[in-house]
Amino acid sequence: MLVGAFACAHTPQLLARPGTEDRDLVLRVHAAFGRVKRRLEALRADAIAIVAGDHVEAFFLDGVPALAVYVGTECAGSFGHYRYRFPIHELLARTIVEQGVERGFDLFYTQAAPLDYAFYVPLHFTMPEPAVPIVPLHVNVYLPPQPTPQRCYDWGRVLGEIVRGRPERVVLMASGGMSHFPGTDRYASPEFEYDRRWLETLKAGRGRELAAITGEELDKMGNIELRTWATLLGAVGDAKADVYCYEPSWHHGNAVVEWAV
Amino acid sequence: MNDQPHYRFPPASAYRLNRCLFALKSDDAFRTRFLKDAPAAMREMGLETDDTAALLRGDRDALVARGAHPYLVFMADLRLRMEREPVTFEYF
Repeated sequence: MLVGAFACAHTPQLLARPGTEDRDLVLRVHAAFGRVKRRLEALRADAIAIVAGDHVEAFFLDGVPALAVYVGTECAGSFGHYRYRFPIHELLARTIVEQGVERGFDLFYTQAAPLDYAFYVPLHFTMPEPAVPIVPLHVNVYLPPQPTPQRCYDWGRVLGEIVRGRPERVVLMASGGMSHFPGTDRYASPEFEYDRRWLETLKAGRGRELAAITGEELDKMGNIELRTWATLLGAVGDAKADVYCYEPSWHHGNAVVEWAV
Repeated sequence: MNDQPHYRFPPASAYRLNRCLFALKSDDAFRTRFLKDAPAAMREMGLETDDTAALLRGDRDALVARGAHPYLVFMADLRLRMEREPVTFEYF
C-alpha cells in the first residue's frame, strides 16, 4: 500500500556546506527534512521507493537507461567524503520490475550500479532509525533524450498501482528540483518564479498538469529533474501538496513537499 | 540569448572527452594521476589535441562546444579545484 509521498531537494550544498552558502537557509531546509523524517517514523514505512535522476554516476554513456530499478540486496555509493550503503527491499524492487514490464514499461534493472548522491542526500536527512529498506528508481534527467514528462507521469501511475497492490507500507519519495542550471552560464540565475507557480499548482491538487509540459520547457526553466516529481505525481494523482519549504539559494530552488495519499 | 538547450545530446565524437571528464568527477585514482601529470592522463584517455588544450585551459565554452556535457565539465572542474585549493566545508 502507498502510505506517503514526498519530494525533497538534493542540493549537495545542503550536505556539505561551503562558505558560499547561506547557513540559515541550509538549516531551514534541514528543518523541513526533519519534518519528513518524523512523518516517515509515524507512517511506519516498510520501504521507501525513491525516484531520482542519476547524475552521470551510475550510468555513463556506456549505457543510458531511461527508467531503471535497483534490485540487488543492497546499494552503495560515495560522494566527497561521504560513504553510504542502504538495504534494498528486494522483493518489492523485483515486483516493481516484473509488474512494470508486464504493464508495458521496458525497465532496465541493475543489481550492482553505484548509488548517486541524488538518492543519498534526502535519505541522509530523512531516514528513520532503524533504517528502512529502499527501492531506488532512476529516471534519466541529464542525458538527452530524456523520457517525456508524460512518460514519467504514466510510469508513476503504474508504479502507484503496483505499490497499492502490495502488502508493504510504502512511501514514495521524489528527489530533485527545483530550478537550477549546473554547468551552464545560468547557474547563478534560476527560475524561481517558475518554481513558485508550480508549487501553487501542486497545492491546488493539479499535479497532472506537470505531465503536459515539454522536455524543452523543463530544460529552459532549469527543471529537468521535475521528471522525478512527474513520476511521483502519476502515483498520487490529484492529491494536494503541502509545501514544507521553498528556499531559493543563489543557485537552486530548494523545495520539500508532502502529498496526502 | 540562444535557443540551444542547456543539456544537449552528447555527440559520439566527444565520447572520449566525456569519459575523461566523468573519470575526473568520479574516479579518485584517475584524478590523482591527472593532477600529477595531466598530459599523460589525457593521453591515457585518448583525447584529441583540441580537447587536451581546452581541458588544460579549463575553457568551459570550448569544451561544451566540442560536445562535453556541461554537468560533467562543472563537476570535473569542481573536483580538481577542491584538490588544488582545499575548500572548508561544514559537514552535516
